[in-house]
Amino acid sequence: MSNNVFADATQLSGGRAQEDAIIVMENVGKSFKDFQALKNVNFKVGKQEVVVVIGPSGSGKSTLIRCINRLEEHDAGRIMVDGIELSTDLRNIQEIRKEIGMVFQNFNLFPHLTVLTNIAIGPRQVRNLPKAQAEEIAKELLTRVKIPEQADKFPSQLSGGQQQRVAIARALAMKPKVMLFDEPTSALDPEMINEVLDAIKELAQDGMTMVVVTHEMGFAREVADRVVFMADGEIVEVGSPEQLFDNPQEERTKKFLSQIL
Amino acid sequence: MKVWIKRNLFRSWWDGVLTVIFGALSLWVIWSILLFVFVTGRWEIVEVNLKLLLVGQFPNDSLWLIQASMIAIAFWMAAALGKAGSIENRANLVPTIWDFVQRFGLVVAVGVILVLLAGDGYAIGIGLSIVAAVALGRLLNWSRQRMSPLRRIPAFLWHLSLLAPPVILIFATLQQSDLKLWGGFLINFYIAIISMVLCFPLGVLLALGRRSKLPIIRLISTTYIELIRGVPLFVLLLLSGVALEFFIPSDISPGSVFRAVTVFTLFMGGYMAEIFRGGLQSVPSGQLEAGNALGLSIPKITFLIMLPQALRNAIPAQIGQFISLFKDTTLAGAALGLLEVLKVSEAMTKQPDFLGLGYIYEALAFVSLLFWVGSYVMSKESQRLEKRLGVGLR
Repeated sequence: MSNNVFADATQLSGGRAQEDAIIVMENVGKSFKDFQALKNVNFKVGKQEVVVVIGPSGSGKSTLIRCINRLEEHDAGRIMVDGIELSTDLRNIQEIRKEIGMVFQNFNLFPHLTVLTNIAIGPRQVRNLPKAQAEEIAKELLTRVKIPEQADKFPSQLSGGQQQRVAIARALAMKPKVMLFDEPTSALDPEMINEVLDAIKELAQDGMTMVVVTHEMGFAREVADRVVFMADGEIVEVGSPEQLFDNPQEERTKKFLSQIL
Repeated sequence: MKVWIKRNLFRSWWDGVLTVIFGALSLWVIWSILLFVFVTGRWEIVEVNLKLLLVGQFPNDSLWLIQASMIAIAFWMAAALGKAGSIENRANLVPTIWDFVQRFGLVVAVGVILVLLAGDGYAIGIGLSIVAAVALGRLLNWSRQRMSPLRRIPAFLWHLSLLAPPVILIFATLQQSDLKLWGGFLINFYIAIISMVLCFPLGVLLALGRRSKLPIIRLISTTYIELIRGVPLFVLLLLSGVALEFFIPSDISPGSVFRAVTVFTLFMGGYMAEIFRGGLQSVPSGQLEAGNALGLSIPKITFLIMLPQALRNAIPAQIGQFISLFKDTTLAGAALGLLEVLKVSEAMTKQPDFLGLGYIYEALAFVSLLFWVGSYVMSKESQRLEKRLGVGLR
């Protein structure tokens, strides 16, 4: 079945995924004690592709993307990012993390640093850029997420939506090749969701490769090249937004969509 | 006012009874204290022994070094520290007169008491010099913020240059006089400060060690912490009087001060480790994940992200530990025979003039006052620090 899904996937994304995939997961499995969070997952993301992952809670969506930058360690199969295989080698992990930006549900900004320092810390400490240059990057990114005036404040002085935009800027400051979003709007008040989604949409338009876990179906339909539906640690169905939302093939997909739409 | 009294003191007949009883009781306590301080207290014992209580048998001809150090430290603190609100939210932190009274009132009061007790022109001179040093320091601090040529000096150079005189003076004091002759409150202060400075990094290392991924480091740290915390401080002090020879070549024969500092540092290191570990645990796991996701190395995550937050969260407990260390220095007298302030106060009641006349109350009251003021200042300063670092945090 997984092969079948795969064929579909490449076809639907215009073959990009197969030609130059930046993330490749082969038979990936992950268990927490006796709970199997991921079962035999096969998954590719092509360059400049936007993949949205949906599914009920506990289906392994977050675990899937956390495995991509090794916040979780997979215990079966292979994960390749930009040609580097994720192994226990710490150097590899560090290299891969430099190329992957991640945005968390709870922002996870550093509360003791100003907004500007939060964004500049990556380029400064990981890429070893001079302070002035790192701050220059940070200011540019703040302008890009439309809050340049908040540079000298501390995260707690910002609204949730602003904090999440800072978090996006912080991830972008590393000039990553891939961005991962782990339910970026789930912790936000409803009126702030759109400002964050807009920032993500702009990134998509600029051609950033992205994997987004979200419950915002409207957003998924709008920006996704492919939508992945997961349940019980498996990839159940993959398709273009139109296909998956309007004409789901699998029983579990239909059930999930009927529950939330 | 009337409403307030009714609501808070006499809401029901039972409240009324309690108010009357405890009101009377507290008035009586206050009255007794005032009576003791101003009428019945025979403070001549403190007056006569003031030098012994404060600096022990410190040689008279080097005494000016201590006084100069105090003046230099006062100057440095006024000039370099206390720049309240230098971070953010200035509005909350602009100090009022009352803030100054709260911060320095007690210290000034004790200074005045000491000058009065000494009762000579020389003491008044020192007091005035300290006041002048503080004023000069504030003036310099103020002018640095205003005048651009001064502002162009980088902060670390500026602070270093200001810190130089007190450090030089303190080293000169250590050179000029034998530590064995130090005594009184000076030695309590010295032991406490050195131990605080040394036990801090030890605590951080042990806390990190106990959370280390390497089993051997974890084992060593855990064993050390549990061993140290399982033994009474007094026993360790007694032990250091005899057992340090096992570890150090006998021809060095460390003095009692060295022994005391070693024990206090090692002992407090164990306690600080647990405080810092608690602080580290209070940092949400998302912080570590965010650091990892950025590709920061583990040492950088530890020192740039985890520790700054952990140390801040641990300030109240840390200061509590420092205060208890400060007061525990009195144990060194009983355990190691050091002539610290408590030992001196006990000894002076046995002087021929005062023997058997019950002067112990006055002696102990004076010692308590010194420690209480020191502890209170530390506590107040820690609250200020918390407020300042708390800006923008969660």
